[in-house]
Amino acid sequence: MEFLSRAQVITAVAATLLVLIVLDLVRRRRLSEEYSLLWVASTIVVAVLGFSTPLLKSITHALGILYEASTVFFFGLGFATAMLLFLSVKLSRLGQDHLTLTRELAFLRLELERLRGNPPTPGQESA
Amino acid sequence: MATRDVLVIVPALNEEESLGPTLDEVREVAPWADLLVVDDGSTDRTTEVARARRVPVLRHAVNLGVGAALQSGFRYALERGYAIGVQHDADRQHDPRDLEALVAPVREGRCEVSIGSRYVTRTDYRTPLFRRLGMLLFAAVVRLALGQRIADTTSGFRAYGRRAMEAGLDDFPRDFPDAPLLIALGRRGFRFVEVPARMREREAGRSFYTVGKSLYYPYKNMLASLMAMLRAPNDGERRS
Repeated sequence: MEFLSRAQVITAVAATLLVLIVLDLVRRRRLSEEYSLLWVASTIVVAVLGFSTPLLKSITHALGILYEASTVFFFGLGFATAMLLFLSVKLSRLGQDHLTLTRELAFLRLELERLRGNPPTPGQESA
Repeated sequence: MATRDVLVIVPALNEEESLGPTLDEVREVAPWADLLVVDDGSTDRTTEVARARRVPVLRHAVNLGVGAALQSGFRYALERGYAIGVQHDADRQHDPRDLEALVAPVREGRCEVSIGSRYVTRTDYRTPLFRRLGMLLFAAVVRLALGQRIADTTSGFRAYGRRAMEAGLDDFPRDFPDAPLLIALGRRGFRFVEVPARMREREAGRSFYTVGKSLYYPYKNMLASLMAMLRAPNDGERRS
């Protein structure tokens, strides 16, 4: 029986740990299911690549990469980049939502003050 | 419906020292206009200073940026039926005596946006070199995009008609409402007129344009200008 290489063991342990952490975060409602998908999918892909020597070798060959480890890093980095881009887009959206809410709050507060009779309505300020 | 048809919008961030004199001066020189302060998340007494003068305050709970503050002012002006919204800095850089001349071209229908400009005629305003270079650059960008020469694209002293304010609600740079805004409005067919305006040195407080922003500013404005050129003229009519 062929023993697993040290790299394969490390990959297996790290990937299992990461998936468990992600799932646990979802369980504790600290991470939404939506975001967990990318994490779980990327971890599984990288784990499979790191684990399956024939698959890794054929992909490395097909992509014209010289060294197998580079293929694992290539996919890992690809996922990291995709994740960061995805988060930047989300963040921009959140920024827009945050602006809308803050503005809405400002208008409501002004209206509330007006109803309470604090600052005057326009046209009467100089009175 | 407002009783007066001009609203002077004063975006303010931590301007407790100069806001009071600014408001007093506008009221004294232009009693025909209403005032609105948009406090963009100040941590000082900016809001109190305005309230003490019985000026309505739209207070952003957190800082959103000059552009966003101005846009809130537009929304207020539109909701209350003002015909013209004037953007007026809180730091006493602008001279309210120029307000009448600034508003006139919009009121007369000669343009949708009038810009109080430092460079239409000689004024005694001295611009720092770095900023001057930036202004030349963005004047060139605007000219390239619109075919119209605007000398002072960074002026924070402008009057907007209702249609321009409505367009401003759709699509607006959140931080620096300068060249990209003019390009976006110009591409929708709005006309601009530049009016000579006096500019004074700041007396107190801190400019919106800090050192850190002065590096980000050219990048952001260049990219946003380019995007404004690439977008369809009425793109963005859904937000806010």
